[in-house]
Amino acid sequence: MKVFNRFLVDIAYKINTSVWYQKKKRFVYNILENDEYKYKKYFDIFMIILIFSSVSILIYEVKASVHDYLNIFNSYVISLIFFVEYILRFWISSSVTKVIINQDEYSDLLSRDFDLLFVIRRIVKDKLEYMFSPKAIIDLLAIMPFFHELRLLRIFILFRVFKIFRYAKSFQTFTSVLANKKFEFFTLAMFASMVIFVSSVLIYVMEANNPDAKITSLYEAFYWSIVTISTVGYGDVVTVSKEGQFVAILVILAGISVMAFTTSLFVSAFTEKLEDIKEDKIIQDVSKLNRLYIICGYEQIAKEVAKKLINTDFQVLVLDSCPQRTENAKKDGLTALNYNPGTVESYKKLNISLSIHVKAILCLREDDVENVYTALTVRSINKDIFIMSLLMNQINRSKLIYSGVNEILYDKEFVGLVAREYVGQPVAFEAIHTIRSESGSIRMEEIPITERVLKNFGLVEELKNTKFRVVILGIHKKSSKRFLFNPIDSTLLESGDFLLVIGNYMFIREFNKYLLK
Amino acid sequence: MKKKAVFVFGYNEYGLEIAKNVSFKFDNIVIFSLDEIKEDDKKNLDYEFKLYDISEDWGSLSDEYDMQNSIIFCALRDEAENIFLTISLRTGFNDTFIISLANNHEDANKLKMAGASKVIPIVETTAGIITDMLKKPVITDVLHKILYEDGMLKIAQISIDDSSHFRTQYPADIEWSRDHGILVISVIHEDGSSEFIYSSKSKNQYIKDGDTLVVVGYQYDIENFKRLVKA
Repeated sequence: MKVFNRFLVDIAYKINTSVWYQKKKRFVYNILENDEYKYKKYFDIFMIILIFSSVSILIYEVKASVHDYLNIFNSYVISLIFFVEYILRFWISSSVTKVIINQDEYSDLLSRDFDLLFVIRRIVKDKLEYMFSPKAIIDLLAIMPFFHELRLLRIFILFRVFKIFRYAKSFQTFTSVLANKKFEFFTLAMFASMVIFVSSVLIYVMEANNPDAKITSLYEAFYWSIVTISTVGYGDVVTVSKEGQFVAILVILAGISVMAFTTSLFVSAFTEKLEDIKEDKIIQDVSKLNRLYIICGYEQIAKEVAKKLINTDFQVLVLDSCPQRTENAKKDGLTALNYNPGTVESYKKLNISLSIHVKAILCLREDDVENVYTALTVRSINKDIFIMSLLMNQINRSKLIYSGVNEILYDKEFVGLVAREYVGQPVAFEAIHTIRSESGSIRMEEIPITERVLKNFGLVEELKNTKFRVVILGIHKKSSKRFLFNPIDSTLLESGDFLLVIGNYMFIREFNKYLLK
Repeated sequence: MKKKAVFVFGYNEYGLEIAKNVSFKFDNIVIFSLDEIKEDDKKNLDYEFKLYDISEDWGSLSDEYDMQNSIIFCALRDEAENIFLTISLRTGFNDTFIISLANNHEDANKLKMAGASKVIPIVETTAGIITDMLKKPVITDVLHKILYEDGMLKIAQISIDDSSHFRTQYPADIEWSRDHGILVISVIHEDGSSEFIYSSKSKNQYIKDGDTLVVVGYQYDIENFKRLVKA
């Protein structure tokens, strides 16, 4: 037995450390369960199409005969796909190897024998837990029509409709919202059941012996109670005696309260959860972005910066600990979360990698203390992320530098520099300002020199910019990190360089296209 | 002879930054404060300090200073006071160049109505610089060096007069960079309108006296070019 146990543990370790196996299992998990996996939606759409085609065939079959190919497709092909899906879900629902390894480590630690029975029990328990979950039961029932010969089982095709819920995220949100009100719904169900039970018995007793009575059996009494309490009142089964009508009055009154209670439960459940649902959606959307600018704090300057960034299709996320400011950001059409940008928890909740998804963090609170705190928090998570911060008081500059800010933005300094230009060369400054503001057709752009550009152009003289009425102000050389103003014709272009050009934006666009020809 | 000066109203961080940045061109910088300034602070800063009252009559300034060639900065932190000050100064000095600071666009409009020659909207200016840094970092860096730093590369505005070398020539026809080592970015006409050097309009419009050329180049080349223009 010991030899078998050892063999089992060895196999478990081997499988658990196999890159190939884990990669395959991870892929199956992602495609079936991971909502953030980009290909999952295609799988979901495929399954939904299968479900609809299966149900359509069933509906069509009610009044017409269906071609054999369609029957085969419906009964075998679709069922087989569902069966494979069921098996795969069964596989990824729990890890058998992990249970074996855990037990091995546990027994090693306590110097006990490996308990095979416990392992089997644990594995069976985990797998049964999955098999008896509502979703797995629906999956299994949806496979049943495979047994084509059993006509009765064909009705199980209807369970395929329920399978849609597995792929519809909104339904999952719906059930999760209602799950929060379990106790209230249970209380309501108990109350309604009591009313239905009591009224069914009462009405049966009052009406059953009346010669004109429509309610002659307990089943009819039960049906009448349900129709009345739900305030539907078909009118096909009615009370005829005075006593019966009195009971009806009581049931109608109880029905109104049941309906009111149910409606209020739904409304309150959704109102309470609405913000969470929206927040989850934002986090999900944000995790799909990869050049995100996170603006920490939403005040006047942040508002202007965000407006300018989104106007040029930059991806912006606003984080602010103040609910009012977050609300303002949302009103301005921005993606915003009421998270404190100064806590690590906020970035964890975002479920993103700062180095992959985020281009820069902008600490734009008009408060140096908050900006230092935010910068330090971000720096503690990621050493390399680019951080920009506003500086409100010159005396705090060193603190921002110490907290790891890459670029400090001191608005007083900017005002001073603008004043310098107005005093020095106002006309030249205005001309440059007009070009930079992008309000007219003349723009200043930076064109990256890529390998593709270098295939056709190696020297500045080959660019022929004047043909496109574009002025090359200079080249920013990647290698020397220097700016070469007005480069001579023989200047060599290298990958990573930037051409700084001025001209009509349409001509610049044409010039850019020409470079990438 | 009356002195020309820069008058900065508002003893605050904005006012001091302005004073620091304009000192390269003006010897006389006067900072006006509503409150008494500590003697130690005065000693550390090489400016003249004066106390003022918001409803003061500014006529006395004309006795001492050449107000036509002086510049006034209104940099009070209180928007209402800043607007009041701008109006008050404009009524006193019709031809003086007044630059006022505004917090936002709304105040900028009011300040223009109050008679400010130029308005620097603080929020928009700061936000503009931040977004430029993010959108076009290379351009922002290069322009910052050209505009604000004391490097060799400069921007200059060169006026064309009736004896100027380039008068009656078409700007797009001249090999500015090859022949003169400079780049002409815009031609500013007498009426204040500006034309990009290669724009269609500019191609059909020759350089006239009264035009101003906005050029970028190394200091040495710009000096040579200025001499050539005047020749």
